[in-house]
Amino acid sequence: MPTTMLEVNNLVKRYGDFTAVDHLSFEVHAGEIFGLLGPNGAGKSTTIRMIMDIIKPDEGTVSVLGRTPDQAREHVGYLPEERGLYRDLKVLDVLIYLAELKGTPRDVARQRAMEWLERVELTDWVGSKVKDLSRGMQQKLQFAATLIHDPDLLIFDEPFQGLDPVNVGLLKSLIRDLAAEGKAIALSAHEMSLVEALCDRILLINRGQAVLYGELDAIRREYSPDAVRVRTTADLGQIPGVVSMHRDNGQVTLMLDGTTPQQLLRTLVERDVPVEAFEVALAPLEEIFVRVVKGGSDEL
Amino acid sequence: MNFKKIWIIARHEYINNLKRPGFIIWTLAVPALAGIGLLIATFFGGQAGDFFERQFSPTTPTVALVDQSGLFSDILPEYEDNFIPYSSRESAEQAVRSQDADLAVVVEADYLETGNVIIISPDGNLNFAAGDEVDDFLAEHLLAGAVSEDIANRVLNPSRPNVVSLGETGETESGGIAGIIFNFILPYFLGILLVITIFTSSGYLLRSVSEEKTSRVIEIVLSSVTAQELLAGKVLGLGALGLTQIAVWLMTAFALSGGMIGLLGVALPMLMRPQLFILSVVYYLLGYLIFAVLMGAAGSLGTSEQESQQLAGVFSFAAAIPMMLAGFIISNPNVTIARVLSWIPLTAPTMMMLRLSMGSVPTIDIIGSIVLSALSVPLIIWAGAKVFRLGLLMYGKRPSVREIWRLLRQA
Repeated sequence: MPTTMLEVNNLVKRYGDFTAVDHLSFEVHAGEIFGLLGPNGAGKSTTIRMIMDIIKPDEGTVSVLGRTPDQAREHVGYLPEERGLYRDLKVLDVLIYLAELKGTPRDVARQRAMEWLERVELTDWVGSKVKDLSRGMQQKLQFAATLIHDPDLLIFDEPFQGLDPVNVGLLKSLIRDLAAEGKAIALSAHEMSLVEALCDRILLINRGQAVLYGELDAIRREYSPDAVRVRTTADLGQIPGVVSMHRDNGQVTLMLDGTTPQQLLRTLVERDVPVEAFEVALAPLEEIFVRVVKGGSDEL
Repeated sequence: MNFKKIWIIARHEYINNLKRPGFIIWTLAVPALAGIGLLIATFFGGQAGDFFERQFSPTTPTVALVDQSGLFSDILPEYEDNFIPYSSRESAEQAVRSQDADLAVVVEADYLETGNVIIISPDGNLNFAAGDEVDDFLAEHLLAGAVSEDIANRVLNPSRPNVVSLGETGETESGGIAGIIFNFILPYFLGILLVITIFTSSGYLLRSVSEEKTSRVIEIVLSSVTAQELLAGKVLGLGALGLTQIAVWLMTAFALSGGMIGLLGVALPMLMRPQLFILSVVYYLLGYLIFAVLMGAAGSLGTSEQESQQLAGVFSFAAAIPMMLAGFIISNPNVTIARVLSWIPLTAPTMMMLRLSMGSVPTIDIIGSIVLSALSVPLIIWAGAKVFRLGLLMYGKRPSVREIWRLLRQA
């Protein structure tokens, strides 16, 4: 049984007549990377802000590490979508101050700040003002600021937005390391390829409501058409149960009806077809996302 | 409320604003200007001194007296040395020209009826001292023999003024020039200093809030502390900054004047009117709290520092009204408009600080202004903190008044 680090229960936030978040429930466990997905304006940031106790929900509860959000502040690291740091402060001072605000004692904060600056390769800039740092360096400093108080739950709101490729790589490996250490990570993103590469489970929200929730692989399988991709140079000919075949540069996509991928593979082996690669075609998350979100709007 | 975090924020705001070039320049500019003023005064002081010395010269002038009325032929012994009779106007003028006399005075024949006296001076000017001397000469000679010496003395010096003012407690206080300086000018000056630091501190607060908002660092800060803690920390830290500024100013004044102004400005009024100082501190705190919170709220609403400053301008203007009226109120500290503004929390602290320095104020105004301001402080803090919290998270556009009202009701 995984340890639940974040539990969101029937969360509702309304702004006048507009319901930004509509009865949302989900959990994030220790050691997992959880993706919070949705189109712009779906309510991701509002949800995150309620988890962070920046705004109060109208209904529902948020439980962070078994406590209320205001009691758990010091154990949560937050990388907001709108990012910025004190431009006129020195790099080290920014880190120490933000760590102190999270309840880290000053001397510990100083030591951790130095460790983090080394980890993100900013040690040479320790005495510089934030405004003298390049954009990429400021982004790395921001990661350090999010993590300096050693939080157990991490919330990243659109963490990859505006990052240069080097920092995307750095952040990806940071996130993986943190998950391996047993931290719970929730991130919102709309770059589906990154979510596919990182997330264990996802929640897709649209118009404040949950439309998909669960294991990423299971969701992809569920939404995948009965299709397989086969890499072969041979001509496959007629195969029972295959309704269409589309060849593209040595890769053939076969749509199945009345047969299983397992059976198809057996048939290919029996026919002695030289198969270089064989895979069940999982629908890309991007496609699922578009289909579900569009489907949602069709209902209205 | 987590007081440790409020303290961390207060310290952060204090230290980082203390290091701002703007703060250092402004804090040093005031004493520097005072120093320059002092230098100018010393430089021109020489010339001014000559003028005053001539005007109030204690040396008695030598007067060439031409008496055509016959009333002053016997010159009293005390005037014999410097009133020298001359037979004609021409010879008296000659005496002035040859500097044997400083002035020539011609008492005309019809003097008793008309009072006509011709005074001839080398440059056509008559200084006060010489004028008084001539008047005294004429009066004393007219009275001599006609009335008793006591009466003559009283007529020449009808009163020796010993002005005593009725203090707020009903006790009398010593008056005179020193009293005016201690009771009026210095407290007024101090009142203005306090008002200035209220503006400076709350201005820094606005700037600090606005910077955190525009740089978006506010999101991280608000995920660590509550909006109330943040506002409280800023108000405390920047309030301390304002007090530091006053301390620097008073200390440089102390140093520049060799201790004089420090002594006169603080110690003496404090001894003479302690209640004024206690009240000033109360109004200072109330005024600062009200303005700091309003500035914090204004800072949270604007999308840029300029925009926030425009919003805050309304409050600054309200607070500055008493300062603008100062010249008018000086003549009557208890004029109706001054009393009305004393009861409005937004203008009360500055108005009362000015009025208190100008003279006695009705007790009811003191009580009323303190009670109303004190009562409005929690309300302003409540509303200000709400607006602050919500305003901080609104990017992109400035909320309209209606939106602010809606936010307040929803919050």
